[in-house]
Amino acid sequence: MAGSTAQVVAPEAPSSGARPSPVSRSLRRSLKWLGIVPFGVYVGLGLIAPFIAITIAAFHNSSTGAFTLSNFHAALSGTYLLGLKTSLLLSIASAIVPGIFGLLLAYAIFTAKRGNVLRKVVITASGVFANFGGVPLAILFIATLSTTGIVTGWIKDLTGVNIWDHGFTLYSAYPGVFIVYMYFQIPLMVLVILPALEGLRPAWREAAQNMGAGTWQYWRYVGGPVLLPSFLGCLLLLFGSAFAAYATAEALTGGTVALTPIQIGALLNGNVVAGQENLGYALGVIMVVIIAIVMMIYVSLQRRAARWLR
Amino acid sequence: MATVADVQAGTHAPTPATRPAPRWRTFPFWRWAILLIAGVYFLIPLYAGLRFAGLKAFANVFTYPGFGSAVGLSLRLALITTILTLVLMVPTTVYVHLRLPQIRRSMDGITILPIVIPPIVLIIGVLKVAPSFLLSTPYLLALVYVVLAMPFAYRSLDAGLRAVDLKTLVEASNSLGAGWPATLWRIVLPNIRTAMLSATVLTVALVLGEFTMASLALFVTFPVWIVQFEQNAGPVSTAASLLALFVTWLLLMLIVTVGDRTARKRGGARVALFTVAPQETRPTAGEPE
Amino acid sequence: MTTNAARNAAVDSARRARGTGGTSVLLRDLSRSFGTTKALDGLSLEIAPGELVALLGPSGCGKTTALRIVAGFETADTGSVLVDGKDISGVSASKRDMGMVFQSYSLFPNMNALDNVAFGLRMRKQGSAQRRKRAGELLEMVGLAPQARQYPHQLSGGQQQRVALARALAIEPRVLLLDEPLSALDAKVRLQLREQIRTLQHRLGTTTLFVTHDQEEALSMADRVGVMRQGRLEQIAAPDELYDDPATVFVAEFVGIMNRIPGELRTDGTVTVLGSTAPVKGQEPADTGADGGDRAVDVLVRPEGLTLQVAEHGNGIVTTRTFLGSVTRVGVLLDGDIAVQVDKPSSEAAALAPGASVSVSLPGQPVLVAPRRAVPG
Repeated sequence: MAGSTAQVVAPEAPSSGARPSPVSRSLRRSLKWLGIVPFGVYVGLGLIAPFIAITIAAFHNSSTGAFTLSNFHAALSGTYLLGLKTSLLLSIASAIVPGIFGLLLAYAIFTAKRGNVLRKVVITASGVFANFGGVPLAILFIATLSTTGIVTGWIKDLTGVNIWDHGFTLYSAYPGVFIVYMYFQIPLMVLVILPALEGLRPAWREAAQNMGAGTWQYWRYVGGPVLLPSFLGCLLLLFGSAFAAYATAEALTGGTVALTPIQIGALLNGNVVAGQENLGYALGVIMVVIIAIVMMIYVSLQRRAARWLR
Repeated sequence: MATVADVQAGTHAPTPATRPAPRWRTFPFWRWAILLIAGVYFLIPLYAGLRFAGLKAFANVFTYPGFGSAVGLSLRLALITTILTLVLMVPTTVYVHLRLPQIRRSMDGITILPIVIPPIVLIIGVLKVAPSFLLSTPYLLALVYVVLAMPFAYRSLDAGLRAVDLKTLVEASNSLGAGWPATLWRIVLPNIRTAMLSATVLTVALVLGEFTMASLALFVTFPVWIVQFEQNAGPVSTAASLLALFVTWLLLMLIVTVGDRTARKRGGARVALFTVAPQETRPTAGEPE
Repeated sequence: MTTNAARNAAVDSARRARGTGGTSVLLRDLSRSFGTTKALDGLSLEIAPGELVALLGPSGCGKTTALRIVAGFETADTGSVLVDGKDISGVSASKRDMGMVFQSYSLFPNMNALDNVAFGLRMRKQGSAQRRKRAGELLEMVGLAPQARQYPHQLSGGQQQRVALARALAIEPRVLLLDEPLSALDAKVRLQLREQIRTLQHRLGTTTLFVTHDQEEALSMADRVGVMRQGRLEQIAAPDELYDDPATVFVAEFVGIMNRIPGELRTDGTVTVLGSTAPVKGQEPADTGADGGDRAVDVLVRPEGLTLQVAEHGNGIVTTRTFLGSVTRVGVLLDGDIAVQVDKPSSEAAALAPGASVSVSLPGQPVLVAPRRAVPG
C-alpha cells in the first residue's frame, strides 16, 4: 500500500464518503451500520439460525413433524432427567470446589511481592492449564488413575489398597469426571479472580488498619463484601464452563456417563435409534436456557462489581 | 533483615527501632502448602502420562495410520479458521471502536453468545441447517470454528484497541493528512499486532483441540483421531495427547513472550492469556513515592 | 448561613469534648532504604501539640515514606517515632490512634458515606446509634450531611476527600496525617478544601503532619514547613522565614522563584553584582576556601527584589512579559546572556514592550549567594 501521506492539502474528513448534503445526513447515519453487516450476517447464519432451527424442531415430532411438547416431556423424565440433575449437580460441585481452591491459590500468590517469579509462573501456568481440556486431558487421567494407571499403582504399592476395589471409578460423574474437571476449572478460577483481587486497592487495607481494624475485620467489613460479587460471578462462570463441557467427559467415559451434553451427543450421532433427534434438540434448548439464566445473573454481578471498583 | 544505616558524620548514634511483628510473615506456611498441593495435582498426570506412554510410543505416534491426515486436517482447519476469524473480527472490532462505540455494550453481549450456546448444541444446529454441499466437506468445521473463536478474538482485539485509545490516534493521523487506507495500514494495524497475535494463537489452540464438533460431524481431526485409539493402543494415544498438550503450551508461551517483549518495548498493553470473562483494566494504585 | 453555624457548633462541641492539650510528635533520626535507594537519611523533626507541619519536596525526597512510618505502614531501619514522649515504633498501625487521609480512592466502596465515617468508631466498639450520631456530626462539619447515604462512586473527588477527612477525624485522633490529599483534585476544589482543612484543624487543635509537593499548598496551610530533599530535611521554618531566609540553595530555588546572577564575592563579605555592591545575607557558600582575591558566585534574588527601569543604554533587553494579575513578570536578558525575571506592578509594566532597553539593578539589601553554577553548554 503506497504511503499516501505526502501531498494531501485538505485532510480528508474522518467520516465516510457520503457527500455533505442535508438529505444524506440520515442516509449517512444509516450507512454507518453497514460496517457491522458482515459480522451480523455471520453471527446470524452461524449462530442464530442453527439455534432457531433446533428450537423449532424441538417443538415438533421427529417422525410426523407435528407440533408437540412431547420432546420436552421426554427430556425432563427418565434417564434424561437424571442426566440433567447429574449435570447440574456436577457443575455446581465443579464450580464451588475449584472456586474456593482457586481463590486460595490466587490469594496465595497475590500476597507475594509484585513481579515475583512465583507469581508469573502460576499465572502463566493457569493460562496454559485453563486451555488444556477435552481429549488429551481425559487420556492423561486415564493413564494416571485407571485400573492400570500410574497413581493407582503407587497407591497400591504404598498402602496395599486398590482404590478401584473400593468404589473409585473414572467412568462416572463422581469422582471420575469431577476430578478431571478440576484440572481446568481451578486455573480458570485463578485467572478470573486475580483481577478482582488486584482491584482491591491497598489504600482500603491501610485505611481500615488506620481506623483500627485487624486482618479479620478488614476482610469481614471491606475486603470480603467488595470481592463477593466478583467471586460469585466467577463461580457462575465456572458453572457454565462445567455444564457445557462435552469432550472431556466423552473421551473419559466413552460416552457412557449420564450427563446431558453426552446424552445429546448420543441422540444425534446417528448410532442410536433414529427418530429421536428432536428429543436431543429439546435437551439442547433446555441447556441453553439454563446457561442463559446463569449468564444474565453473571453480567449483573459484574456490573455491580465494576461500579464499586471504579 | 533490619539493616543498620551507615552512621552519618555528625549525627547521633542511631537508636535501633523495635519492629512490630510483621503480619505478613505468619502466612507463608499455608501459602506454600496450597502451592504444593496444586503443583502435585497438576504435574502428576503429566508425569503419569509420560511413564505410561514410554518413550517408544512417541516415535510410534508419527507413523501410526491416520496420523498424517488427521494432523493435516487439523492444521488446515486452523489456518482457514484463523484467516477467516481475523478477516471478520479485525475490521469489525476496529469499526465498532471508531464509528459505533454506542454498541460496544451489545457487542460484549453478542460475543458472549457462543459461550451460552455450548458447542454440542451449536453443532447439532449447524448440522441441521447447513446445505448439503457444505455438509460433505470438513471445511464446514472451519466456518463453525470461526463462531467459536469469536469471543476470544473479539476480547483480545477489544482489549488491545482500548489500550491504545484508537480514536485519538486515528484523529491525529487524519488531521496530519493521512487517508483511511494509510491510517489503517500504518497506524491501526501495527498497534494491534499483539492483540492480533493473541487472537490468532487462541484460535489455533482452540481449533487444534476441538473435539466435540468434529466428532459429531464425523470428521477425523487430530483429537478425534486420538480418541479412536483410546481402547486399543493406550500408550500411543497417551503420547499423542502429551504431544497435543505440549503444542498448546508452546503456542500459549509464544503469546506470552512476544506480548511481554512488545509491552516492554513500547509500553503497550500486557497480553492477558485467555479469559472470555471481561477483564476490566484497573488503574494500578499509584505508589505514593 | 445556618449551615455554617451548624458546622461551627459541631466543631466546637468536638473540641470541647477532647479537652485542651494536644499531642506532640517527635521523629528521631529516621532512616529507611528500599534496596539500594535511601529514601530517608536521618530525618529528625518535632511537631508541637496542635501544630500543622507540612513536609514539602520533589517526588522521591522521602516525605511520604516519613509519613507512612509515622502511620505505621512502613518501618524505619533506624530511628524512632515518639508520640507524647513514648516510642511507638513497636505499635501496629491499627493501634496508633492516628487519622490518615490518603491521596485518593481510600473510601470503602461497599459502604455509604455515613458508614465510612463511622467505621473507625465501629472498630472502637461504639454502639450503633452513637456511631451514627457522631458520623453525622462530622459529615455536618465538612458540609456533606445531605450526602450521608451516598456511595463513594456517586461522589465527586472533592466530596470523597471530604468524607475521608471526616472519617479520619471521627475517631478523634491524636495525630492527623495527610498524604497529598489534594493532588488528585481540580484546582478550584483544591483551593476550597485547603481552606476547609486548615479551618477544621485550627478549631480542633489536632497535631497534623501534611505531605505535599505543591509549595503553594504548604506555604498557605502550615505553621511550619519542612523542605526535604533526598531523604533529608533541608530546612524547617515558618513559611515567611522559608521564603525570606532560605537556609540552602535548594530551598531558595525550590520555594518561589529565584534569579541567579553572577557576581564577585569580595573578601570583606560583600558581593559585586550588576555594577553595584551589596552585603551578603547570613550563610556563606560551603566551600569558602578563598585565599585572598574575589570569588565567583551566583547571587540569588527574588523577582520582587530587583529594580527595573527603562533606560536608553541599560544593561538588558526585555524578552517576555507575563501578566499575573496585580503583578507582571518581566523577562529580561542581561548583558552576558543572563536571563532574569523581574516583578513589577502591572500598571508600570504596561510600558515595557519586548525589545525595550532597560536597566536592572539591586536596591542594596542583603542578598544570598551560592557557588557559581556552570551554565550548561
